[in-house]
Amino acid sequence: MSLQYRSDFVLDGFVEVFWMTTALVPLFAVYQFRSTIAGWSFGEALMVMGWFTFLEGILEGAINPSLVSVVEHIRKGTLDFILIKPADAQFLVSTSRFQPWRAINVLTALGFFGWGFRLLGRVPSALDAGAAVVMMVVAIAVLYSLWILTVSAAFYVVRIDNLTYLFSSIFDAARWPISVFHGVIRLVLTFVIPLAVMTTLPAQALLGTLNCRSMAAAVLGAMVALSVSRAVWKLSLARYTSAGG
Amino acid sequence: MIRVRDLKKHFRVHERSSGIAAALRSVFHRTYTLVPAVDGIDFDIRAGERVGFLGPNGAGKTTTLKVLAGLLHQTSGEVLVEGREPRRREDDFLKSIMLVLGQKQQLLWDLPPSETFELNRAVYGVSRGTYEETVRELTDLLELGDLVRKPTRALSLGERMKCELAAALIHRPRLLFLDEPTIGLDVSMQAVVRDFVKRYNEQHGATIILTSHYMADVERLCPRVVVIDRGKLVYDGSLEELVARVRPEKRVVFRFACAVSLEDVTALGRVVHHDAGETVLAVHKDGVNGVVTRALAEMPVRDMTVENPPLEEVMSELFARQRAVHEAGTR
Amino acid sequence: MSLHNTLRACPAMLRIGLAGAVAYRAELLVWALATTLPLVMLALWTSVAEHAPIGRYGQPQFTAYFLSTFIVRQLTGSWAFWEMNSDIKTGTLGARLLRPVNPLFAYAAENLAAIPLRLVIALPIAVVLLATVGGKCMTRDPVLWGIFGLSVAGAWLLTLLTNLMVGCAAFFLESSIKLMDVYLVFFFVFSGYLIPIDLFPDALRNIVEKLPFRYQLGLPVEVITGAHERTYALNHLALQWVWIAIALLATRSAWRHGLRRFSAFGG
Repeated sequence: MSLQYRSDFVLDGFVEVFWMTTALVPLFAVYQFRSTIAGWSFGEALMVMGWFTFLEGILEGAINPSLVSVVEHIRKGTLDFILIKPADAQFLVSTSRFQPWRAINVLTALGFFGWGFRLLGRVPSALDAGAAVVMMVVAIAVLYSLWILTVSAAFYVVRIDNLTYLFSSIFDAARWPISVFHGVIRLVLTFVIPLAVMTTLPAQALLGTLNCRSMAAAVLGAMVALSVSRAVWKLSLARYTSAGG
Repeated sequence: MIRVRDLKKHFRVHERSSGIAAALRSVFHRTYTLVPAVDGIDFDIRAGERVGFLGPNGAGKTTTLKVLAGLLHQTSGEVLVEGREPRRREDDFLKSIMLVLGQKQQLLWDLPPSETFELNRAVYGVSRGTYEETVRELTDLLELGDLVRKPTRALSLGERMKCELAAALIHRPRLLFLDEPTIGLDVSMQAVVRDFVKRYNEQHGATIILTSHYMADVERLCPRVVVIDRGKLVYDGSLEELVARVRPEKRVVFRFACAVSLEDVTALGRVVHHDAGETVLAVHKDGVNGVVTRALAEMPVRDMTVENPPLEEVMSELFARQRAVHEAGTR
Repeated sequence: MSLHNTLRACPAMLRIGLAGAVAYRAELLVWALATTLPLVMLALWTSVAEHAPIGRYGQPQFTAYFLSTFIVRQLTGSWAFWEMNSDIKTGTLGARLLRPVNPLFAYAAENLAAIPLRLVIALPIAVVLLATVGGKCMTRDPVLWGIFGLSVAGAWLLTLLTNLMVGCAAFFLESSIKLMDVYLVFFFVFSGYLIPIDLFPDALRNIVEKLPFRYQLGLPVEVITGAHERTYALNHLALQWVWIAIALLATRSAWRHGLRRFSAFGG
């Protein structure tokens, strides 16, 4: 229970607010010199930042803690206790722990969106909002798939805490519109570790600049990602159980 | 060598009850209770002795051990090891002791034990010559062979324990604390560890303090035991005498050449166990001679031994009596 | 735990620390690769400076700055806090305390021992740096290179001490990790990791320049990219070591108090 520790509770909240502020510092810093960066205005960039904050909340608040516990289970050999339960192992493992303070991320994300639109002097159309919701589902699906893939690696490489740190570090680049990156990096971040799909495309949806083809490709990509990651997870789990753990 | 007078160690523990209401309340107000883990203990231990610390879980054994090792500071009382106060953690003191914990390990995990040996050599300032001699001796005594060159994570639990012991003795400590050293080991490995500790004590005169829940450890290694219950010293003396005092009976084990009826055997004494293989009787120690004479005269005895009752039973009896006394006192 | 004994054990501790680091090389590689922030900032700031420089920073200067940041971070980064926090919470610190070596020195030795490996990661980046923008963006003054060296050593020490100091919080707080998170936030913002210090708005810059965070990263990077002249560099090198002295005293005090508490409650 996240409420149990007194100092923990207070510090938790304090730190969350703090991290929110750090997110803004580089944004302010760069935009104090230019009004557009890589084709995005401050208000537009806030959309990307908002989606990032939202996904980060889901990542750190729900996905991360639960999936990290898989590593502990594997290391301690207690994964068997989960495997004998009747529900699907992947589901159980994904939902075992939550961090309540991360709910604040959702509010902050909405705050960023509101602020951005006020700067742009308009509101999103119903169509745009709808597209954004679709992209939200896509983004969560892609994020989740990437995570399952990372954790499946835990069956082979038990010391995975650094891999999750690596993931978080790379994910951090999703704060910025993908056009900030150039060349090979940009290709990698669009197709291999699709950060673009997770934050830039949803932002474009909200702004009404996302074309149908990209959206369709993203939806397709998300479905592929989900099935591939589930297949990999099942494969890794099978290997684990047949090898005797 | 060790001198303890009126040792007391109290812990302040905050109470935490379950439930959301309690959790929220605890954010604003905490209640504490004082737990007397060790409540006035005295004893002396001479150099070269082997002493067992016995007691039920939570009795204060491990706390006492930690105070002797300097890891915990006593709340009050005098503790001196070779004239020095453990809590000051002087280099000389630290170099003369070692603590081996059965459940936690000190060997570096990804490197071979030989690297931990080298590290200990440097940290404890052991000269090259002495070091090589010690390693040779330990490798022989513990039959380590090639184990020391494999990474620690590749060793089995028993092999690891042997290497842990070796690593602990690189600097030839004069005082060795063993906390549950045989836990989780198979029977043959337990015997190896026990024999080794006994031989080490005999050869080097190191003082050994052992805590263990395996009575076989205590029987084999500790002529003297100190029994601690609820933070107080309950008994300090020889193991033999403790057994005599608590369970003054012996076990007489018979193997008969042909079947003997239960009634006949019952006539001799209290039957603990009776089947075709062997018969075990519990007889008061003063009555053993009588029983043996009668049995040899009247029954087809093929083989016979006289043993002490299992130490587990003695200890359970002792603690049960202690509990009864305590409960009577608190009523 | 005497200093004499600790120093005598140093060579062995370092050698075995290195062996341990090599055994962990896959993990170390991952840690090193996870230092992506300077590279992301590089992309970001070079986009900002796409059409015109900002202050004295054009694209080449930003490139030099952030690649140097990566290298300095590799050389000075410390994870002693995590080790210490884990040791205190699990009680493993007890095993360290039984040895006649100060655990603080043991942490330092483990950190130092891993540096050769981190150098291996930093080297290719250094090569890229020198080959591409090295010519016009790095200083050629040997004195400044000397000052750079000293400031990197200082940065390493200061980062280690801060790690240990915050690590001592584990003696008193249940969620010491959160405290470290807060510290890291300050570090990221005020050390020059995210933004070169001289791009801060003036009023803020005067304060930030003197805070210890800058001396953990910003100063060496600024010196090597030729942002300062000798006198300025020397003055600020001195200030760095003043901060180190303060950190040393604070760490010693925190450690002593923490140890007293640990010995009262046990591990």
